[in-house]
Amino acid sequence: MQEGLGFTPQLTASSIAHLLWLIPTVPMVAAGAMSLLKQPRRRIASTLAIGSLAFSLLLSLVAFGHVVAGWSHGEAVRETVNFTWLQFGTSNVDLGWVLDPLSAVMLVMVSLVGLLIFIYSVGYMAHDENYTRFFCFLSLFAGAMLGVVISNSLLLLFMNWEIVGLTSYLLIGFWYQKPAAAAAAKKAFLTTRIGDIFFLLGIVWLFAQTGTLLFYNGGAGSMEPLALGGLLAAPAAMGLSAAGAIGLLIFAGAAGKSGQLPLHVWLPDAMEGPTPVSALIHAATMVAAGVYLIARVYPLMQAGSLAGGTTTALTVVTWVGASTAVFAALIAVAQNDIKRILAYSTVSQLGYMMAGLGMGGVAVGMFHLITHAFFKALLFMGAGSVIHGCHEEQDVRRMGGLKVDMPLTFVTYAIGMLALSGFPLLFSGFWSKDAILESAHKWQANQWPFYMLLFGALLTAFYMMRQVSYVFFGIWRGHKPAHESPAVMTLPLAILAFFAIALGAIGTPAWPWFRGFLEGHSAGFELAKFGEPGFLPLIATSTVVVFVGLGLGWALYGNRSPRAEEQDALEKVSPMVWGWLRDRLYVDELYGVTVIAFYWWWARVADWLDRRVWGGAVAGVTWGFRSLAHFNRFFDNYWVDGGFDKGCEEMATGGGLLARVQTGRVQTYLRLLALAVVVLAAILIWSSRG
Amino acid sequence: MNYADLFRVTLPETALEVAALLVLVVDLGFLRKAALTVRAAVAALLGVAGCGVALWFVLTAGGASLSFGNDLLLTVGGTAAVAQAGILVLTALTLLLLIDAAFTRHVGEFVGVVLMAATGGLVISAAQDLLVIFVGLELLSLGLYILTAFAKKSAKSAESALKYYLFGGMSAAFLLFGFSYLYGLSGSTNLHKIVIASYALSTVGAWPLWALALVMVAAGLGFKVAAVPFHLWAPDTYEGAPAPAAAFIASVSKVASFALLITVGSIALNPFDFSRTAHGVLRVQLSFGVITSEVLTPRPLGFLAPWATVLAVMAAASMLVGNLAALAQISVRRLLAYSAIAHAGYILLGLAYFSYGSRSANAILYYTLTYGLTTIGAFGAIGVVERATGSDRMGAFLGLHKRNPVLAAVVLVLFLSLAGIPPLVGFWAKFNLFAAVLSVHAGPVSLALVALAVGMSAVSLYYYLQVLKRAYVMPAVNDEPIRVRPVTMLVLLLVAAGVVLLGCFPAVLQGWIASFYPIIDYVRMPPG
Repeated sequence: MQEGLGFTPQLTASSIAHLLWLIPTVPMVAAGAMSLLKQPRRRIASTLAIGSLAFSLLLSLVAFGHVVAGWSHGEAVRETVNFTWLQFGTSNVDLGWVLDPLSAVMLVMVSLVGLLIFIYSVGYMAHDENYTRFFCFLSLFAGAMLGVVISNSLLLLFMNWEIVGLTSYLLIGFWYQKPAAAAAAKKAFLTTRIGDIFFLLGIVWLFAQTGTLLFYNGGAGSMEPLALGGLLAAPAAMGLSAAGAIGLLIFAGAAGKSGQLPLHVWLPDAMEGPTPVSALIHAATMVAAGVYLIARVYPLMQAGSLAGGTTTALTVVTWVGASTAVFAALIAVAQNDIKRILAYSTVSQLGYMMAGLGMGGVAVGMFHLITHAFFKALLFMGAGSVIHGCHEEQDVRRMGGLKVDMPLTFVTYAIGMLALSGFPLLFSGFWSKDAILESAHKWQANQWPFYMLLFGALLTAFYMMRQVSYVFFGIWRGHKPAHESPAVMTLPLAILAFFAIALGAIGTPAWPWFRGFLEGHSAGFELAKFGEPGFLPLIATSTVVVFVGLGLGWALYGNRSPRAEEQDALEKVSPMVWGWLRDRLYVDELYGVTVIAFYWWWARVADWLDRRVWGGAVAGVTWGFRSLAHFNRFFDNYWVDGGFDKGCEEMATGGGLLARVQTGRVQTYLRLLALAVVVLAAILIWSSRG
Repeated sequence: MNYADLFRVTLPETALEVAALLVLVVDLGFLRKAALTVRAAVAALLGVAGCGVALWFVLTAGGASLSFGNDLLLTVGGTAAVAQAGILVLTALTLLLLIDAAFTRHVGEFVGVVLMAATGGLVISAAQDLLVIFVGLELLSLGLYILTAFAKKSAKSAESALKYYLFGGMSAAFLLFGFSYLYGLSGSTNLHKIVIASYALSTVGAWPLWALALVMVAAGLGFKVAAVPFHLWAPDTYEGAPAPAAAFIASVSKVASFALLITVGSIALNPFDFSRTAHGVLRVQLSFGVITSEVLTPRPLGFLAPWATVLAVMAAASMLVGNLAALAQISVRRLLAYSAIAHAGYILLGLAYFSYGSRSANAILYYTLTYGLTTIGAFGAIGVVERATGSDRMGAFLGLHKRNPVLAAVVLVLFLSLAGIPPLVGFWAKFNLFAAVLSVHAGPVSLALVALAVGMSAVSLYYYLQVLKRAYVMPAVNDEPIRVRPVTMLVLLLVAAGVVLLGCFPAVLQGWIASFYPIIDYVRMPPG
């Protein structure tokens, strides 16, 4: 919980920090260039996209190296470059970017995973007509996501956040001819918007309280002790300080983006987009932006906690995260769409990250974010490869036995699945999940989150085993035989599989490199950590839980090859519970009869008001003017002589009433000028009397 | 002021005059046989160079001190410097637009007159004395009359010039008459002294005479900025003048006149009391008055109250008449004329509610500079369309995006900026201005006037979109591409890029304007 101990305000920034803006800008410019390309220029588009992101990756690695070098010399790097964007009166709105361990780690992760997915997309989207448009959106997304990562200002972050939301909308609805895709895009956009409104309120409130939206600004930023002290002192409502209330508002935005309860409904539907999109945006990066946001504003969330204690905001984060983790894992058990299972799994894992942030601090949550990004991208791309090989089939019950037909995909998928399940010792997911469980175990406020997360781990192992048994074991139940995907798709899988294993090494309790790096203290290698009291039992518990989950899954589904028409193995046990889970616990239906029904009725009422009341008022005014016009015509026709009529006609053709003084006769002008002076003087003298 | 100071203060003006004479000598003396395009290019570039030198003088004047005795004719720095820099940049852009506009054979004279008129603009931006104001105004106005008449073969041009001249002459007569009253009442021609004298006068009861004098001054200045009810010349002049001349009238002359109004406003609030510091040295930012702690306490408005009333009435009338009459126009030039009247109304609102600090002055300068920039681009684009189609009717813009997509994009950017659509610069201009008005006074009247201004901005969107609708949506009657000469295209692209970039980074120009008020104090010299 002790974040930022070693950070001292740095007023000078290194040259790489000054160049940091290039990382998001280059992909964005590439997207702009691609938007001008004609449709058939496919090669140019993908080359531009991959080239620009490769450049970003290179620069990110340099930035990362700079931060690591500074850290290894014992100084925690936090360099900011700020500038005034606009000023009104005496207040400024400043923007800027920041290079610190948090942003450096995210930069490398986003650009590396992004680059692999870009390469994979070349194969996956090869036959799509709108290939150029796809890469244009993808590049814009990558640029905006990197922008979110480097922002040192809540406002700049919000701008990029919205661009990211826009590209998510565009890419979910990429196949907009499919009604389901169009509806899913709309749903994603509207649902995340609900969170964003609260987020924006939080931003405005923060600005009103502190006068700045910069995170770090040499002591004057909003995440620095001076501003936090002021926020703590300002009361909000219901015993919350302004810091707590603003933290909760920002968390609402994060919950929308990261699919936390109760705003998770859009994420499973978002799987209507192309699979690389699901992998990049809806598994690895964008949905993690909410988690990253909480990590970024962690000083605010944590403000006011005593040593080892917690705050209201963090308690809410923890409970929402833990509930989401269990809730989504339960639903994932009863899904049959290969991508939907992964989508619910993503929601569940995001819940883990939030809970990790809430109970264990930035390093715990972020470590799971990073490992999850790699293995979940791997799983999604593996799923894409399966879908590709099975001729666009997505129902796991119509697959089977693919370990023979698609060996490369099988091996990499299995690695991803074991990492996600938290298979002991070998895989990164084990270590990151274990860190969360450990912090939950140590959490003093309540032990329930620990048990919930443990149950979630059991479910995770179970549903992943179920899915893998369906897809890769047993006999083939599809129509046309499956085939392995091209190398351009399998190579990224292999690279990601490597990271899914290797990343665990930097976060084991014996060598907490990642934690030390993020929190700015040194990390030594101590095997003795494993011997700490309470540690081995914890590892043993989680190992047992994982094995129970995997074993149950294998016992129920392994090599059974049930057909789509048959009842599911669990359905035989309890059809009612199975039905609830299959129907996603009726959350969508609940929203249908509450929120959506309310809006529908409200729209009806507004429509009625518009037609009858306001429309009537407008019609009344119109009628009044029409009758006035009729009267005028009568007046005109019968009372005014022909000359005036002619003048009116001229007015009608030449312009309105006001243009009529514009006779073009300079004598008139001069007369009017003199008249105006007299009238103005009269007004003035008359008004100053009283 | 001694002569050395006067010389130093008028260095930019001198540079422009020298450039004007140089242009005449080169054009009439050496290039009589050369092709018209060469002469136009040489004359325009010489003029641009003159503007550059003058700009250098303006920008490097900071830091110097101005000694004064018992009078103050001209100032340097502050609002004056910002306005002068703006005038010079806009003049240079106008001159560049001239290179491709073949409406006259007398390019040397045209450039010469433009430069001399710009000199008048520089003078009135810095003037602190009624006589200097009048001389500067006449120098500017006479130049504009000639420029309007410059298309000798066009009867329209001659007619509009004559109207402009007659109207301007009568306004000048009113202005001078008003000045004579002011002098008679206060015993001085210096603005600072007049304001200070007015505090004593308001008790005497010379009320009607003051009011009359102020209204007459307002009439003279209202004519320059085309505010209702002194706007009648504008539509005819905008329609008849050659395009570069119209651009010049709409931009440079506006900036200069509003700079003068800012001077009047800031001196009315912060007059410099000569009697208290008989021998002093003023820092260079003097044109924003001298704000020391003792003067900062608001004085009773006395002099200012009726002046603000006149301006507010003119503002409201201009916003209403300008925007509503623009709705009915078919000629795009007349449309721009009425839109100019409307914009003058918004700015006058800012002048009617003028702040003690620099906020209002900054917002108004921001508005006029960016408005001038946008208008020059708009007239440049209209000039191109006119030459290609022979008409400035809205119909001439039909299918423009097919005939020349880049030109259409420039028109789109400029017109949307005029309408005040974010993130273009016109939005920030309006935002700053209205925010400044409300920060000065947030009573029912000012709220109502700002509401009127915002509402009228919404109305203005309609007529701007009328033009854009023809350029982008309505079917083309003629698909023939429109060629734009390279220099004109360059100017148009520069202007459009400026409108977009300054809009995306509003702090750049705001910061630059604000940087002209470094220290607000004055140094007292020991007596003797």
